[in-house]
Amino acid sequence: MLNNRIIAIIKRELREKLMSKSFIIMTLLIPLFMLLIIGLQMLIAVYEGDKGTRIELITESEYLTESCKTYLTQQDFVRDGTYVITYDTVPRRSLKSHIEERKQEILSEKLNGVIFVPSTALKNKKIEFYSKTPTNISIFEKLDNHLNEVLIDQYFSEKDLNDEELNFARMGVSFNGFKVSEKDELEEEGFGNTAMALLFAFLIYFSVIFSASMTLNSVIEEKNSKVVEVLLSSVNSREFMTGKIIGCTITVFAQMVIWLIPIIILVTTSWITLPESFSIEISYGHLAFFLFNFLLASFIYQGLSATVGSIFDNPQEAQSGFFPVILLIMIPFLLAFTMMRNPNNPIAVVASYVPFATIIVMPVRFTLVDLPVWKLILSQLINIATLVLIFPISGKIFRIGMLRTGSKPTFREVLRWVRS
Amino acid sequence: MADNTHALEIRDLSKSFGHIKAVRNASFDIPEGSIFGLIGRNGAGKTTIMRMMMNVYLPDSGEILLRGKKVDQAFRNSVGYLPEERGLYKKMKILETLLFFAELKGKKGKKVSNKAKDYLERFDLVDRINSKVEELSKGNQQKIQFITTILHDPEFIVLDEPFAGLDPINTNILREIILEKKREGKMIIFSTHLMDFAERMCDHIAMINHGKIILNGSLSSIKTEYSQKNVTLTYEGDISFLENHPFVEKISDFGNSTGIRLKDGDQTQEFLKLLLDNNVKIKRFDAEDISLHEIFIELAGKGPEEDFSFAQ
Repeated sequence: MLNNRIIAIIKRELREKLMSKSFIIMTLLIPLFMLLIIGLQMLIAVYEGDKGTRIELITESEYLTESCKTYLTQQDFVRDGTYVITYDTVPRRSLKSHIEERKQEILSEKLNGVIFVPSTALKNKKIEFYSKTPTNISIFEKLDNHLNEVLIDQYFSEKDLNDEELNFARMGVSFNGFKVSEKDELEEEGFGNTAMALLFAFLIYFSVIFSASMTLNSVIEEKNSKVVEVLLSSVNSREFMTGKIIGCTITVFAQMVIWLIPIIILVTTSWITLPESFSIEISYGHLAFFLFNFLLASFIYQGLSATVGSIFDNPQEAQSGFFPVILLIMIPFLLAFTMMRNPNNPIAVVASYVPFATIIVMPVRFTLVDLPVWKLILSQLINIATLVLIFPISGKIFRIGMLRTGSKPTFREVLRWVRS
Repeated sequence: MADNTHALEIRDLSKSFGHIKAVRNASFDIPEGSIFGLIGRNGAGKTTIMRMMMNVYLPDSGEILLRGKKVDQAFRNSVGYLPEERGLYKKMKILETLLFFAELKGKKGKKVSNKAKDYLERFDLVDRINSKVEELSKGNQQKIQFITTILHDPEFIVLDEPFAGLDPINTNILREIILEKKREGKMIIFSTHLMDFAERMCDHIAMINHGKIILNGSLSSIKTEYSQKNVTLTYEGDISFLENHPFVEKISDFGNSTGIRLKDGDQTQEFLKLLLDNNVKIKRFDAEDISLHEIFIELAGKGPEEDFSFAQ
């Protein structure tokens, strides 16, 4: 299958890509980029941009106002000045005129809003918020639990409860997840596997996108520099495409293994200890499945991008043809995110058996839930079938496209190449 | 049954691109040990034929036979091909480039590496051995491309417009190497629109015009035949009887003299007798020599339908 000519092409690809500065830079840069994204998200989560939020809290009774004040002034976000809360007691009938008085301040955003806790809230817990942006979820999330606790305290203060009972009443419900698997023991599941699923989705997505665009540009360059004619006088187009794709795939596979080294160390040794809530349940088989799946994914997308590259004469024109290829990986990437909330989401379950989508969805799903082996094999058979189906088509387009120059071919023209 | 004197036989090759018929039923033979020239105007179809020979293009119809058998990978391994549109990997180093293309042909190791260095020395490029291709001038890149064509010691050397873009000194080096390869028993096939090169170097030619082979055979027989057919005549009297005469293919009035092309070069003596029998006073009768350039101009000026074939 691999003759000397294909091996010569693979060696050249490896020399050009694996030994290049850009490979080393990208190998280091992508994990840094991912860390940057995750860090940025965490930063945004921590810093919500609500520093200096000014709220006026009104109740209908002096007592309730005082309770709110006493409780809220103890909270960190008030003590550190993130929230500046003023308090007032205003009966319902005067609320409208009170809001009128505050109108200019609200409109000029000197005041972010007025929270009105009516006396009826002690029965139905309904609170009103008057603001220029009355659906400010950030404010609701910040205050709802605290106001709930004030209301609970108020409600039960007349019921003669002791502190223990009161604390119980204040508590919310906390879910602890235990994984039911083929194993005998029931293990408490942390967020480690969710983080790992996220990492896998990112790694496949970025690696495929970057390597596919690298192959696209490399094919366009070969076409433009006319080196392809010399090559095709020595090897046939199938050998050329095979050598190129294998060379590129080995490169990205090596890159992926480098990226996974920390995970491999984590799984195979006890050098790294994670907090219990981030413990990772990943086996050798899991890593092997991930790498095999990635290998096939890489073949598929290298093949597609080499085909697209052969159709166009320059990178600008090629972008229009490359866009559908990007969509084929971007849609499953987004689907994988919906699975983080519910790994058994029916769309995700179906997508894990859909060609192209299975490439990202299945490894992510497998990281989140235990799946029988036959399902994993089925997903890989789908990948292999995709590969077998697209390669003859790609080969035909590649052969004609590589030697064609001039105006951008129409879709119909490309279809004709396939039929030829 | 294959003719043993022909190394390559091109049989009824046709190739169209959309509505454009680039090559139409092209047939010619390339004898063993020859330097063969495929000549024609720009856009005549030379490159398309060469690309089909190299399996870069698949012909719509027709076939190419190597010593009686259809060409295959073994043929491709034994060919060095210099395409018209030169192409190298710009970021690759020169020695790496040479060794890569040799490896594609199944040749590698110290011997090839040493040979590459010898050729680089010959082309005065040995000091650039570790330079990247993009760092060389266009002319030097062309020299590297030529070395990639011959480094694996191919039996067939196929050169598409090999002299295009070379200065006179490098043209001479290239010509020397081509002749040296011929002496080594290699077959050289090249295309050109430069008739003087073809005339000086080729043993055999095929002339292509509008995608059709209009002339092919050994250069010497073509020239002999053509010079015999061409008569320059200075006379007194009436030669109107020659119009539509079965001996005559074409009459061109040059003012002081008249150029007459005979249908058959063997009829020169009978033609002279015909003039004398018709009381034409002959001042000059010249069955002249003719250059390939003149033959080319003559034939390429004709419509695409005419076909001239000569014995070898």
